Amino acid sequence: MGGFIDLYTEADTFLHRMDPRVKIVAVLLLSLLAFILSHLYLLLALLTFIFLLLFLARATISRTAFALKFVLRFMVLIIILWPIFDPTGTPVLASLGPIKITEPAVWRGVTSAARVGCLATVWYILMFTTSQRDLVRALVKMGVRFDFGLTLAISLRFLPTFGALIDSIKDAQRARGLELSKGGLLKRSKNYVAVLVPTIVSALRTADTLSLALQSRAYGARADRTYLRDLNMRPSDYVALAVLAAILVLPAFAKFVMQVDI
Amino acid sequence: MIPSAHGIPREEKIISTRNLKFTYEGGVQALQGLNLDIRSGDYVAIVGGNGSGKTTLAKALNGLLKPTSGTVMVNGMPTSELKVAEIAKVVGYAFQNPDHQLFCSSVEDEVRFGPLNLGYPEQEVRQKVERAIEAMNLGQLRALAPLSLRLGERRRVSIASVIAMDPQVLILDEPTTGLDAGESLELMNSLKRLNAEGKTIILITHDMKVVAEHARRVIVMANGRMILDSDSRGVFSDLAILGESNLEPPPVVRLAHRLAKHGIPHDVMSVEELVFQLLRSRGGG
Ligand SMILES: Nc1ncnc2c1ncn2[C@@H]1O[C@H](COP(=O)(O)OP(=O)(O)OP(=O)(O)O)[C@@H](O)[C@H]1O
Ligand SMILES: [Mg+2]
Repeated sequence: MGGFIDLYTEADTFLHRMDPRVKIVAVLLLSLLAFILSHLYLLLALLTFIFLLLFLARATISRTAFALKFVLRFMVLIIILWPIFDPTGTPVLASLGPIKITEPAVWRGVTSAARVGCLATVWYILMFTTSQRDLVRALVKMGVRFDFGLTLAISLRFLPTFGALIDSIKDAQRARGLELSKGGLLKRSKNYVAVLVPTIVSALRTADTLSLALQSRAYGARADRTYLRDLNMRPSDYVALAVLAAILVLPAFAKFVMQVDI
Repeated sequence: MIPSAHGIPREEKIISTRNLKFTYEGGVQALQGLNLDIRSGDYVAIVGGNGSGKTTLAKALNGLLKPTSGTVMVNGMPTSELKVAEIAKVVGYAFQNPDHQLFCSSVEDEVRFGPLNLGYPEQEVRQKVERAIEAMNLGQLRALAPLSLRLGERRRVSIASVIAMDPQVLILDEPTTGLDAGESLELMNSLKRLNAEGKTIILITHDMKVVAEHARRVIVMANGRMILDSDSRGVFSDLAILGESNLEPPPVVRLAHRLAKHGIPHDVMSVEELVFQLLRSRGGG
């Protein structure tokens, strides 16, 4: 169940081999770019570029389907909801009572969805190509305290597990005849107690075991802990950094120095 | 067909699967074409290595997972057309981890939860709860909070909460893991009593000793397929197939096989049988 518990998937691509620090910087830069760009076509170009990276990371459909589906659903939600809550601009395409759907709002919705798509996918690529050990290693090397790095790693590690846990608990209660979506609001929220309590209890039991496991492996015994693997930048990493800088510098220069609307 | 109180008509063959396949969203083909009939009163053990598809099969049998292709029929009706809550009246499923089911503040409330969901009248709920509490020997714990109990007790509560729904078939997913020998024996004896009273039992387990002592029929799973379906004696007379699926037969069975050339039959399953055979061969020789 590797792909389910941990987004990381082992492979030997240039993205997997890249120094994790470079990848983190890259993801930050590309995220920044997604915020700078405001033209739909440029964002779509960026999205295409990011998907190309995903393809180069050997992400097959079967391995990424569940993550991409999630991103896609979120994007569709934005496209639907944006025009409903943003009545500004003309022409008005349709109106229903107080709700006004305008053409610019529709475009703004699509643009935001593309931006969210860029952000989600680029972070997904980072998780997909970087083992959590390397991720924490990189953060610590970049000056983050080890405790924070470890906390982050543990949360990342347990987020999908938590999802699987909730699914399993829902199943367990459905097997006892619980119908989660049946009844009025009050009945439904009561139904969720049957899912919530076992979830919290199981999560706490896991946390308890985990902290014991950490302590029994002498976590916190020395502040200056050593590491098994050290990170080393290779020439290809510098090249990657340079390429990324170039990709970002141009639009940043255009937008902030030349005041071009992009 | 015998008409039943619960809507779905009763049949001798309670569960039957035809070419049942199930593929998880990630693409794992967990079940690859199973044909399986569970008859009323059966005591079936499903064994197999980690990831062989036992839990997936159990979830397919009670409708939590609908077949990707093929069919699962429960009392003659396909599970794809039934709600899980309807199937729960016929096929009960006690999860591998009891902590996934327990949430009430007393054992009694916990056991009531299922039958109340199924909409039985108050009088009947009370009866079913009492029977379940008695079957799992929880009388002394009934007012306590389930989450404060030991693992063995929590497991009994979770099983009782399924028994209380009074299903014809009871599926138990590795009910003896984490229990000590005494707790394990007590649980297995309770299951034996339930089976004698007519409940069909499907036991998923790694514990071959439990299988040898209790199950009448054994299904061996490997890589999403059934590689053997026979009475339990048949399984233990063929050690090769157990070895293939990383299952270790109990010591007494292995001993009997080692003694085969001294005239001990292949299908010895318990210490008593081995003693009997040994005494007989000594008397004869
Ligand atoms: N929710 C899920 N999503 C994707 N794959 C899954 C899921 N649950 C199980 N699998 C996969 O399906 C296969 C069968 O799993 P299953 O849990 O049915 O095996 P099992 O025989 O019960 O194993 P165990 O003895 O460890 O309980 C395994 O390869 C497993 O990794
Ligand atoms: Mg299992």
